[in-house]
Amino acid sequence: MYQGPVIDCDVHHARATDEELLEYLSAGWREYISDRGPAGIMPLTVQDGLPNPHGFMRADTYPPTGGPAGSDFATMRRQLLDRADVRRAILTFGDDSHVGGHHNPYFATELARALNDWSVDRWLSADTRLASSILVASQLPDQAAAEIRRHAGNPRMVQVMLVDNPYNYPFGHPVFHPIYQAAEETGRPIAIHGGAGGWANPASTGGGNVNLYFEAHTLWPQVVMTHLVSFISHGVFDKFPRLKLLLIEAGSAWLPSLLWRFDSEYKGLRREVPWLKRLPSEYVAEHLWLTTQPLEVSPKREQITQMLSWFDGDRKLVYSSDYPHWDADEIQYVASRIPESWHRRVFFENALEFYGWTEADLPTAASMAVA
Amino acid sequence: MSIDVGALTEFAEGAIRTIGVNGREVGIVRWNGAVYAVHNLCTHQSGPICSGVLSGRLTAASPGGMDLDLSTPILACPWHGWEFDLRTGHALHDAQHRLHTFPVHVENGRVLVDIGPVSRDTAAQRVQV
Repeated sequence: MYQGPVIDCDVHHARATDEELLEYLSAGWREYISDRGPAGIMPLTVQDGLPNPHGFMRADTYPPTGGPAGSDFATMRRQLLDRADVRRAILTFGDDSHVGGHHNPYFATELARALNDWSVDRWLSADTRLASSILVASQLPDQAAAEIRRHAGNPRMVQVMLVDNPYNYPFGHPVFHPIYQAAEETGRPIAIHGGAGGWANPASTGGGNVNLYFEAHTLWPQVVMTHLVSFISHGVFDKFPRLKLLLIEAGSAWLPSLLWRFDSEYKGLRREVPWLKRLPSEYVAEHLWLTTQPLEVSPKREQITQMLSWFDGDRKLVYSSDYPHWDADEIQYVASRIPESWHRRVFFENALEFYGWTEADLPTAASMAVA
Repeated sequence: MSIDVGALTEFAEGAIRTIGVNGREVGIVRWNGAVYAVHNLCTHQSGPICSGVLSGRLTAASPGGMDLDLSTPILACPWHGWEFDLRTGHALHDAQHRLHTFPVHVENGRVLVDIGPVSRDTAAQRVQV
């Protein structure tokens, strides 16, 4: 059992309706998407992912008042925030997180801007325990950078979130570097959310587009593995040495074997990347954190502990529930799978370190008040 | 003990030539006015390092750059591409890995190499990865 404080680093919040977003769009874009006949308004989300036969959401998370899972704060508060000593829950959007998958880069940029304002206005105002990701449309990196800087003064807009990859280059490519420059300047980490392979990407996995959700979800980590290798190979951390990276919703037990291979490749191929100053694993040790969910299930508990220890999981893992998704990990379940000596760090202190907070910066359940 | 391995003029600038010295294969390198001697054994997987490519060192001040430092002689193993700085023997990726280099000097136009006693470390170096 773990009864201590918790920072939940992946909580998906959603709009109850499309209309909820309209007031946050500019007049021009509101007119652009408007209902001009029987077809209704233009779609605001990208929906070309593979269908989950259960649905993507835990069945009990649909609000009793109606609407999508994650769209009602009272339900989220009851099911997530008040069930444990949650000091902070970091919001990561739902289907809206796939703005990077829109074909229209200008519309995607406007949607990201509107969604961030919606998140601040409708959610951060509801509970001081909530913090939000800054969603950016990576199609236009300069405008994404401007969006990051727009939120620089709001300490509860805590990280820059990337999901879909609009181009056939992983996120380390220099085309995306204006985003990282703005993130470093404003002291925000980059958070790459897994699963983008199932949406609007060049290929859902290495080797080709898979056809079943079963395949896609098994191979979920492939996407973030590609982005991580790209980040280091293109020298993102050499160029932006204060930047931190969080990989969300892609598990973590795959990391040791990737790093062993990555270091080995560097020894023979250094001449292709002479700007790298250290072994890839050394960049990872300094710049990378990972969320726990979905925690890989090993036949014996000590096996997963051993795997996670290879990358100092006690220091590098941050707890995430992934609420309200169908495969969310409960606090006590995670507590039962990792060593007790890791609990306080994984559930709380590692996230404090990652985001640069102290315990005093965060509200407690007792002090929680509507802002 | 210094061993005369030939006249300096027998070794071309910017090249490596492997010769036998007291039963050991030693690569003699002339680079940028200096002479180096290195055991023909990569400490990674015991490859014939002296059959590899000799070059300057590729460097970059920032990501995407590609500059050539000709002052540093680099020998890349033909087996796995590991690069070593011949001035020290150290691998570029990790100073813990190093080739066995020998003291060498030029006297009266002759190249003299001190291969010393057969190193007991060599066998251990072979299995380091």
